[in-house]
Amino acid sequence: MSNAMKFLVVDDFSTMRRIVKGLLNELGYSDITEADDGNTALPLLKNGSFDFLITDWNMPGMPGLDLLKAVRGDAKLAKLPVLMLTAEAKREQIIEAAQAGVSGYVIKPFTAATLKEKIDKILASKAAA
Amino acid sequence: MSQPESFGGRFRTHVADLERALEADDEAAFRGAFERLREKLNVEMNPELKRLAADAQSALRRFRERARLEVLADQEVPDARKRLAHVVKLTEEAAHRTLDLVEQSSPLVDRAALGAAQLIEEWGLHGSRQLAVATLWPERVLETLERTLRDSEHLRRYLSQMLLAQGYQDLSGQIIGSVVTLVVELESVLGQLVAIANGEDTRRMPVLKLEDLQALSQARGAAGPQVPGVKNGAVVEGQADIDALIASVAGGPR
Repeated sequence: MSNAMKFLVVDDFSTMRRIVKGLLNELGYSDITEADDGNTALPLLKNGSFDFLITDWNMPGMPGLDLLKAVRGDAKLAKLPVLMLTAEAKREQIIEAAQAGVSGYVIKPFTAATLKEKIDKILASKAAA
Repeated sequence: MSQPESFGGRFRTHVADLERALEADDEAAFRGAFERLREKLNVEMNPELKRLAADAQSALRRFRERARLEVLADQEVPDARKRLAHVVKLTEEAAHRTLDLVEQSSPLVDRAALGAAQLIEEWGLHGSRQLAVATLWPERVLETLERTLRDSEHLRRYLSQMLLAQGYQDLSGQIIGSVVTLVVELESVLGQLVAIANGEDTRRMPVLKLEDLQALSQARGAAGPQVPGVKNGAVVEGQADIDALIASVAGGPR
């Protein structure tokens, strides 16, 4: 994987999408697409060739957990790395996300270092698989 | 089937008794007839009063059950106060953080501009490339460039932190969204209270439930950001806790 990777950032708050996009730019990733919930993200994922999905949980329409389940349930997308970036901090929610196959989970507010570390870790384990 | 007694029939004998007592100037008889008339009126009015009281009681009971008054008053309104106080804190912290970073960035930009301005001025004084090279001007250029590079790195970090500081908008937006749903429910409750006070039948009034309203601002299974003082079940503490939790689930991180 290289910095030519394609990211899809899904969050209903446009400010958070811009923040994540800005941080990814700083990390050297420039091919970034945005979506505001699972319903708009899923067709993009199915029709595009994304390498990494970063999604919020709490969104109107299709929440992040449902998007994650849809991704894992789609043969073409099943192996896609999915990082959940959310304010949801309950243990039971994190367990639910892990059971649904989330690759990484970061709670807002977060730091640029945490985001970088998670992305690097997910990509490293994908490369090792 | 017996016909109900007419209004005249029900009261004529009582009025006649009153008239007879008056004509006879018999106060005791008058008072007796008056008392019987009053009792008769009471007997007729009591069922109506009881029905009205029962209706009012039933409307209030229904209202309490449907409007979740106790929960609203005891828990959700105080929680909303804490949520809004937390939003104020979040926005204040983000504003201060951003202002701090701007204050830290400004001297770096000033220093870069000053260094460049001094070098340009000196270049003009030397008059030619040969003269400038013969002085310490090239060393000063290198020194300025190295310092500017270091300052630019600091500046980039400050800008990145300013970017992250704006994340408060997402968190405060979610918190305010949950308070808005509560306000909408309270508005509905107040509407029903006014209706009851006006003697209107509230049985057919639409009732807004918080669960339905929450669906408008919050996804299923989502609790929103943590707010100090608002109970929200068991929550994780830090990134290490999250990573350990995910790793503990069968399969671990993918």
